[in-house]
Amino acid sequence: MLDRRDFIKAQAVAAAAAAGGIGLPAAAQSSLVAGEDTTLKWSKAPCRFCGTGCGVMVATKDNRVVATHGDMQAEVNRGLNCVKGYFLSKILYGQDRLTQPLLRMRDGQYHKEGEFQPVSWDRAFDEMARQWKRVIKEKGPDAVGMFGSGQWTIWEGYAASKLMRGGFCTNNLDPNARHCMASAAVAFIRTFGMDEPMGCYDDFENADAFVLWGSNMAEMHPILWTRITDRRLAHNQVKVAVLSTFEHRSFELADIPMIFTPGTDLAILNYIANHIIQTGRVNREFVESHCNFRLGQTDIGYGLRPESVLEVRAANAKDPTDSKPIDFGAFAKFVSTYTLDYTAELTGVPKERLSALAELYADPKVKVMSLWTMGFNQHVRGVWANHMAYNIHLLTGKISEPGNGPFSLTGQPSACGTAREVGTFAHRLPADMQVTNPTHRAHTEEAWKLPKDLLPAKLGYHAVQMDRMLKDGKLNAFWIMVNNNLQAAPNSANETYPGYRNPDNFIVVSDAYPTVTASAADLILPAAMWVEKEGAYGNAERRTHFWHQLVTAPGEARSDLWQLMEFSKRFTTDEVWPAAVLEANPSYRGKTLFDVLYRNGTVDRFPLSEIDSDYANDEAKHFGFYVQKGLFEEYADFGRGHGHDLAPFDRYHQVRGLRWPVVDGKETRWRYREGHDPFVKTGEGVRFYGNPDGKANIFAFPYEPPAEVPDQEFDLWLVTGRVLEHWHSGSMTMRVPELYKAMPMALVFMHPDDAKARGLRRGSEVKVVSRRGEMITRVETRGRNKPPRGVVFVPWFDSARLINKCTLDATDPISKQTDFKKCAAKIVAV
Amino acid sequence: MPTDAERHLASLLLHVRPDRQVIVRAAIAAMPGTELHIEQPGKMVVTVEGPHEGWIADRMTALHLLDGVFSAVMVFHHIDRHHTDQEQSDRAAVESAGGT
Repeated sequence: MLDRRDFIKAQAVAAAAAAGGIGLPAAAQSSLVAGEDTTLKWSKAPCRFCGTGCGVMVATKDNRVVATHGDMQAEVNRGLNCVKGYFLSKILYGQDRLTQPLLRMRDGQYHKEGEFQPVSWDRAFDEMARQWKRVIKEKGPDAVGMFGSGQWTIWEGYAASKLMRGGFCTNNLDPNARHCMASAAVAFIRTFGMDEPMGCYDDFENADAFVLWGSNMAEMHPILWTRITDRRLAHNQVKVAVLSTFEHRSFELADIPMIFTPGTDLAILNYIANHIIQTGRVNREFVESHCNFRLGQTDIGYGLRPESVLEVRAANAKDPTDSKPIDFGAFAKFVSTYTLDYTAELTGVPKERLSALAELYADPKVKVMSLWTMGFNQHVRGVWANHMAYNIHLLTGKISEPGNGPFSLTGQPSACGTAREVGTFAHRLPADMQVTNPTHRAHTEEAWKLPKDLLPAKLGYHAVQMDRMLKDGKLNAFWIMVNNNLQAAPNSANETYPGYRNPDNFIVVSDAYPTVTASAADLILPAAMWVEKEGAYGNAERRTHFWHQLVTAPGEARSDLWQLMEFSKRFTTDEVWPAAVLEANPSYRGKTLFDVLYRNGTVDRFPLSEIDSDYANDEAKHFGFYVQKGLFEEYADFGRGHGHDLAPFDRYHQVRGLRWPVVDGKETRWRYREGHDPFVKTGEGVRFYGNPDGKANIFAFPYEPPAEVPDQEFDLWLVTGRVLEHWHSGSMTMRVPELYKAMPMALVFMHPDDAKARGLRRGSEVKVVSRRGEMITRVETRGRNKPPRGVVFVPWFDSARLINKCTLDATDPISKQTDFKKCAAKIVAV
Repeated sequence: MPTDAERHLASLLLHVRPDRQVIVRAAIAAMPGTELHIEQPGKMVVTVEGPHEGWIADRMTALHLLDGVFSAVMVFHHIDRHHTDQEQSDRAAVESAGGT
């Protein structure tokens, strides 16, 4: 007979075998939950960390999260959990969790140079409102701004968008997702007229080839990586190509490994297009029916400050988005210079590997999935790189069907759901609409029940521009939510920190922990996180998923939703709206922003009785109506009926997420393809209905070099990124002692010969120096990341070693996303 | 907080290079608290037992980064807190079920 320990072990083994699709003797079969403590309450929630969107089961006891495990019913991860997900329960309980508002004070008053002292919420909001009103009065609405997040819940992002655009009448709202996938989002819209991938994770089980274009999935998306690994190991014909500027863990599975010179991935993509054309493998019928060709603008600069020599020298820095129609012949001619010889020489990749890669795309029998994250997106030509990937899928018609498709992965849990779909970018409104389009603004004013011509037409500041404007004193009241921008932003010592400490500015940071960014603020607001509130995220495959509030936030910590809505009560329309709008619409006079934005008859239409009685909902209780449901339903109306369709609110609490468009209760796995997508009519086959003519755009772009390349003095490429144990800036994971111990400090990974040539060895203390700043760390020559000679890699999770003091604030001129992967640095002994 | 009275048990699913399976097997055997249960080409089911979450996480990371291992992901995690409490609750469960 089994004792208790053996029994639990047998259960554990059975669960792992089931999750791995491994057969077991019948005797070992048992239910996963059977052995669990019956006093625990288990509920579903999506993971708090990356954009994969794994489902987890969360156990609570006595108002505390005590355990989590992978959700067997979640299609994304099928019971698996990565090391970060394993510690989800602990991120809520770091020792230094913020539990009350902290204001910089001197002699009992707010003072920019004062010390942080605890204050009440009332006192905090009084000071904040005073500063906002002062700035708006002195300089107008465009001197206030907000930096949000792809970690906001859907309704938090939506409430923020309403407050900034409809309340304060400015588009100075941008998410940290700008640093993360703006290039992907922009290229989707320019190519297909609609954002987000056409395919989904089901492609993993249908593809014959996987190509990683600048993505280390083994460390950053470990659960999706198991799905690729499963497919590769179970099917001999399946091939994996991994492209990067340094060797990392994903190379272990690579049939076609490829280290290329930074920035030259553009040439590889054009070479593949050329190879497809030269070998006669263009899918002519597909291209003729479904594609247009355009010639893109070249020499577009590097998104630096306009006075920078690189911008002055660039011919087209002022209009980087221009393009003009061409035909297939012109496109073929354009890419014809990207021959195998030229590309091999430029990229440093052996010819046989380049042609093996090109064949994966060219061979009509091979179903290929392209995957990318920051290698493409954090690129001064990131939008081009995304376009060029679509080009090779469109030329071959390998798109929008099981196993065939370009797939842009995301790094944040709701980069898609909140930043993109809700539209928290400086240029966007819900459902892919744009602030510069008068029809879109009018539609939004109507949906939000706001007066005509209220919404601002002027583009807001994007993330990097916000930092520059704070420094220059043009942006003076600034609210940062759920992100750690002082650690994440490029060239931070010169371009970010000075703006936060500029005496003209009042900086507010809402966070759960005292991050680097919070410590540079003037007011810190303690935030509730994850299952301390009811939430919704949207993952990389268009899956919208919900969770209930499971525990109470500690002390006086409040959700961002509560903070946004409560703050809106402190302003009347007379204080912040244009006089002309109020004159034409006198009925809006004297009302608070809370009244006009959230008490508008739509957001407040669902009573508290509709909340599931098994769960708490602190925000709803406070405001007196089911706020999350009201905000979601108002928002969802923007997208229903034309391809962004979301299901009714309550359905999401019952299921493990649904991939939009959800039509007649059914989710959509492959968009734009008849039989899969209800918006494609019978007989159409394929229709890219985001564009009025139903066609996708193939753009011709050349290779152009990065903004900064190594020279005699700064002789190495500096590449930054993440590691397995820590998620982003480490503000949550660095507080889990076990994760901290596994990877306590950010090392500089370098080639042993590069170390030797500088008189260094493994463990040597060194300075990483660029033209902009320096950072002290130690050398790692044998780690999991193996750069080639001439390249060093430094992760950015470590708040004690800020590598972003060294990085360059060059952005893609179209997407305004920073290139964190390419600048010049030197390594010197300390 | 972890105490000596805690026991943690987790099961992991490993994806392994079939041609390195022998080496991986040896590495697992050399890792204290780690046990290989099931193996098929390319996959292994391993349990890890230890005194606290950190022990489990360390081994999970070590396994994930092992030469020849593509990935090590967690499936099941069980915590026995305070053996005495557990015995009491076991006893209570037996009593409430009508046992003696």
